[in-house]
Amino acid sequence: MQEKVEAQNILSMNSVEVLYDNVMLAIKGVSVQVPTGEMIALLGSNGAGKSTTLKAVSGLLKAERGRISRGEITFQGTDITEVLAQNRVGMGICHVIEGRRVFEHLTPDENLTAAAPRGMSRSALNAEKEKIYDYFPRLAERRNSQAGYLSGGEQQMLAIGRALVTQPKLLMLDEPSLGLAPFLVEEIFGILQKINQEEGVSVLLVEQNALAALEIVSQGYLIENGRVVMHGTAEALKSNSDIQEFYLGGGEETDFHNVKHYSRRKRWLS
Amino acid sequence: MDWVFLSELAINGALTGLLYSLFAIGLVLIYKASSVPNLSQGGLTMVGAYVVLALSHDAGLPLWLAIPLAAVIMFGLGFGIERVALRRLAGRPVVMILMLTLGLDIFLRGTTLAIWGGTSRSVDLGVSYEPLFLGDIFVSRIHLVGAGVALALFVAFMLFFRTRTGIKLRAIADDYMASWSVGISVERGVGLSWALASVVAVAAGVIWGEIQGVDQALSLLLLKGLTVAVLGGLDSILGAVIAGIILGVVENVGADLLDPLVGGGSRELIVAAVLILTVMIRPHGLFGRHDIERV
Ligand SMILES: Nc1ncnc2c1ncn2[C@@H]1O[C@H](COP(=O)(O)OP(=O)(O)O)[C@@H](O)[C@H]1O
Ligand SMILES: [Mg+2]
Repeated sequence: MQEKVEAQNILSMNSVEVLYDNVMLAIKGVSVQVPTGEMIALLGSNGAGKSTTLKAVSGLLKAERGRISRGEITFQGTDITEVLAQNRVGMGICHVIEGRRVFEHLTPDENLTAAAPRGMSRSALNAEKEKIYDYFPRLAERRNSQAGYLSGGEQQMLAIGRALVTQPKLLMLDEPSLGLAPFLVEEIFGILQKINQEEGVSVLLVEQNALAALEIVSQGYLIENGRVVMHGTAEALKSNSDIQEFYLGGGEETDFHNVKHYSRRKRWLS
Repeated sequence: MDWVFLSELAINGALTGLLYSLFAIGLVLIYKASSVPNLSQGGLTMVGAYVVLALSHDAGLPLWLAIPLAAVIMFGLGFGIERVALRRLAGRPVVMILMLTLGLDIFLRGTTLAIWGGTSRSVDLGVSYEPLFLGDIFVSRIHLVGAGVALALFVAFMLFFRTRTGIKLRAIADDYMASWSVGISVERGVGLSWALASVVAVAAGVIWGEIQGVDQALSLLLLKGLTVAVLGGLDSILGAVIAGIILGVVENVGADLLDPLVGGGSRELIVAAVLILTVMIRPHGLFGRHDIERV
């Protein structure tokens, strides 16, 4: 029974706690499951612990003097809690970090080259690049200009494309919509959905823009103060009145029946 | 004004300048990956020269074998420095890494003094000291050889930074965190930049050792090398080459004009003025990258 669940979930976080600098408890027992092949959203306001959750999975915590102090993370059934960050990329976990962070002084083409896994042949890399330029035609046009001068939307596309070069099985994105015009968010989310369907890449999407995120994911988790306070299908979350009030700009009656798990202790986002 | 004499000053200045570039390329390699000027590059250059002497004069190997072997040894030493010393400093303030390189320089100078003593030794490259005339202009053969080595290294590194490994190194120079996020081993990249800079140190050590002898004074090349690197923009190899030529010409021609007026010693003043003015007027140097303003 347990093994069956493992096989269905590409990622499973069980009661994960993260400490920064050995003192700052940033997430306090987060459990999140990403079923293989699905798109899942992590929602929540600023400082809730969303980025920390992704860093725990990708191993980038190490770079910020953070560590997992409790709980475990399994990827495809293997415990990765102690695996080095660079080896996690090799296993198929790629984290598109907050704020785009393309290699500014490199061209988009070089940005893609930089992410090539060790041992990827030149022809495989070129094929990979062409596939990425097909997903993001805007990048193809500017493949040899300096990445630092691309627009925000193009940089986000490049950051996603660069992650795809690493051949991820699980793609984690940290607020890809931040600061982008709505039509661009729609374009990028549409492409993410296409990548998910065509490549079979599972997606863990961190967003403050719940409205856009809930359109493309199957389930969502709401994080507040380092804890998961709500988990349900996208439909259930969309019709939840708290979510509506704070994220979707509406205010219908609460419908708790479709929400699998709701452990609100105090009003989140107060 | 005697134009032949002036051209001779300028050409020999440019050649000497390229020898500064040869040194400065090592500084640029490390700056690109670690964002610090490596204050131990002078010490490394001196060690490079001593290792060549140890292999050739002491162990009896021919120079054509001793030099590449020294390059291999120094390549390993560069990696070792990252592994033993720098890795612990990851994520610390850059000034701490700078202080580490200073400590390393003092360490290397002390070690070479303890092992090889203070007397100056010569490399004996076998380059002729017969005067070489290009038309009416006299040039030094060893300077010509050194300038050729500098240009060859320049071309080699320009090509290297277009390879996949080179692109990964440039990515590391841009953003450590983003590099980690796509599986680039930042640690190995920084180690490689030190290893390459140590190989450059062998080249600079041999050429400069041939010119001025191998002793503790070799490590003082750091001052002119740093001036060239800063003028070039610290992270630009092309900048280091052009800035080297500029500094060499300005120094040689300027000293000839100024020395009669101030009674000698104007070379150091010119170098100091170039360094100070660059930092004041153009802190990015000639070819250094500005941080791009995000749109
Ligand atoms: N590098 C860090 N060092 C110390 N505290 C941090 C660090 N990064 C984040 N935090 C803290 O952890 C908490 C969660 O932050 P974060 O995961 O970035 O939230 P979110 O991504 O949801 O905005 C915040 O209180 C934040 O101040
Ligand atoms: Mg965040």
